[in-house]
Amino acid sequence: MQQHRALILRGNRFLGSSLVDKGLLTMNDLESANEKFMGAIQQGDMKHASILTSLIYDLKVLDENKLIDYIVEEYELGLIDLSFIELKSLRPMEVNIDLCWATSTVPFDKIEDTYMMATCYYMSAPVIKYWEEALDGKVIWYATSCQSFTRALEKITDIHDAEDAAEEDED
Amino acid sequence: MAYSVLILDDDSDFNSLLTDIFEQADYTVTPMEDPVEAVVVFRDNHFDLVVTDHKMPRMSGAEYMKVIKQIKPEVPVIMVSGYLENDTIRELISDGVGGVFLKPLNIFSLLERTAELIVEAKKYQDNGGERALLNAGAKQSTLKFPFRSFPCKASASIRFAERLYALRNFKSTLSLVGPNGANYRAICDDIRSFDASSTESFIYLSPESFDESHAISAILNAQKANADQVTCVVLGVESLSLSQKKLAAQLARCEGVFDNGDLVLRTIFCVSGDLDELFDEGRIDESLYILMGTAEIKVPSLNECSHDVPVLAQQLLLSISAEQGREVVPELSQSAAEMLLSYDLERDYDQLHSAIQSIVVAGAKAELSADVLRGALENACSMSPHAALVAFLEAQRVDYAKAVYALNQGDLAKTADFLRADTKTLEEIVKQA
Repeated sequence: MQQHRALILRGNRFLGSSLVDKGLLTMNDLESANEKFMGAIQQGDMKHASILTSLIYDLKVLDENKLIDYIVEEYELGLIDLSFIELKSLRPMEVNIDLCWATSTVPFDKIEDTYMMATCYYMSAPVIKYWEEALDGKVIWYATSCQSFTRALEKITDIHDAEDAAEEDED
Repeated sequence: MAYSVLILDDDSDFNSLLTDIFEQADYTVTPMEDPVEAVVVFRDNHFDLVVTDHKMPRMSGAEYMKVIKQIKPEVPVIMVSGYLENDTIRELISDGVGGVFLKPLNIFSLLERTAELIVEAKKYQDNGGERALLNAGAKQSTLKFPFRSFPCKASASIRFAERLYALRNFKSTLSLVGPNGANYRAICDDIRSFDASSTESFIYLSPESFDESHAISAILNAQKANADQVTCVVLGVESLSLSQKKLAAQLARCEGVFDNGDLVLRTIFCVSGDLDELFDEGRIDESLYILMGTAEIKVPSLNECSHDVPVLAQQLLLSISAEQGREVVPELSQSAAEMLLSYDLERDYDQLHSAIQSIVVAGAKAELSADVLRGALENACSMSPHAALVAFLEAQRVDYAKAVYALNQGDLAKTADFLRADTKTLEEIVKQA
C-alpha cells in the first residue's frame, strides 16, 4: 500500500474539497476528518486511511444515502450493490487489489475490453483519472456504498487466498 | 460657461486660498467647510469637479468621496492632504479618486489635473457613461463588499472575489494557490477588510523571515495590542525550508509552540504554482498538502482577467506617482490599454508593478504609449540572476538529495554527513521523493 501513498493522499484531498465545494460538508467537519486521515497515514494504516469512512462512520457528519443520491442525480451514474454480484478474482484483469483499497474502487466485471467499475470515490477526480488512464478509458462507472465496497473486497481477498492455497497444493 | 467646482476643507485659510486659485483660473467655486453639509450641497447642485481635504472632523475626505460617488459617480474628485498612508492612497484609487495632491501644493499641476479630469468626465458622459478606453468588453462589478486586489472587470476576478468573500470566516486554514508573482498581500488585505470591525491582526511570514522566534514574538505583539484574533499569512510556501514547513504545519494546527489557548489563530497559505506538481516534486509535504486542501482558492492570473489589467495599470500609475511625489500622473494611451488586454504577463502582478514603477521612476510623459509600456514589461519579465539561481537550486533540491542517497547505496547516515543534514530531515526528503 505504501507505493500508493501519493494516490491515497490526492484522492482523499480532492474528495474532501469536492464535498465542501458541493455544499455536502462543512469546512470544520472536513478539518476533523483530515486530522483522522493524517493520523492513519502517519501510522502506516493505509487500508483504513479514508476521509469518507471517517465522515460517515467515525464523525457521523455525512449521510451516505444522501451522498449516493447526489452522485446518482448530479452525475447520472448507475448505482450497484456488489453483494448481488458474483465476484471473481481480479488477477485475470491484472488489477492490483491494493490499488482498489487505496482508491475505494473495484472492477467487478469485464465485458470484452470494457471494465465495470464500482466506486465510493466518484467525486474525487484523481481517482477517476487514475483508473481511466490505467484502463485506457474503457470504463463504465457505478456508484456503490462503503459497506458494499468493503464486503466485496474482503470477498475478493478470500478468492485470492483460495487461489494461492490451490496453487500451493498443486506445487 | 465656467466650470463649477466644490471645494471642501475645514481649514478656512486653506479653503480661501484654494477658492482664490480656482476663481482666478475662471472656475465658479462653492467653498464648503463641513463635509456633512457639503453632501447636501453636492446632491442639490451641479458640479463639474470636487476638491476635498482628507482629514476633517465628522467625516474624512475618503468617506465623503464614497458618499458623493454614490450620488453622482461621474463627477471627478481630487484629494488634497498633508500626509496620506500608501494604504489610504490605494483605497482612494480603488474608490475612484481622480488625483491625489500632497501639501505643499503645486498649483499648476493641480489646475492642469482639474482641466484633464473635467474634459475626461465630459467625454465619459458623451460616451453614455462608458469609458471606452478601459471598459470595452469589461464586466461591471456588482460586488457588495470592498475588494481592491483586482478591479473585478472580468468574470474570473469577480468569481474569485465572491468565493473569497464566502470563505472569509474560515476557521483555521485557507490556501491561496495562484501564479508566480500574484499580489498575495493585497488579497490578504482584502480578507482583512471584509470585517472592518474586528480587532484581528495579520502577520506576514515569508521564507526569509519565518522562524519560531519571529512568529511567536509577532503573535505575542499582536496579543499585547489587544487583537482578539491573529491570522498568520505564510507567503511563498513552495520556497520554505523543511523545518519552516514543519513549523507552518504546527502553526496551522495550533500545536507545539503555537498552542495558545487564549487566542484564535488562523493561517493563510500562499502558494505559487500547481499544488499537485509541487507535491509530486516533494516541495510540499504530505501534512501541508492535506492541511491546505481544507479551504483552497485558486487565485486567477491576470492573463485570465485581461479586462482588469488596464485598470490595474492605471491604478498603479497613480499610486506609484503619489509614492514617488511625481506631479504628473501618466495616463495610459488607448493603444497601451489595448495592448495590455492581450499581453502575456509571465510574472503576473509583479511584472506589471515592476514595469510601471520603472516607467514612473524614469519620469514618464503625461501619456503612456504602448511601445514604452511594452518595453518596460519586457524588461520586467526576466527574474534577477540571484532569484533565478535560488529558484533553480530549490527546484533541484530533492533530486540532488536523492542522487547522493543513491550514490551512497541507501546509507542514510553517510548521505546526511555528506549533505550536512540531520538524518531525520533527510529521511523525510527521501520518503517524499
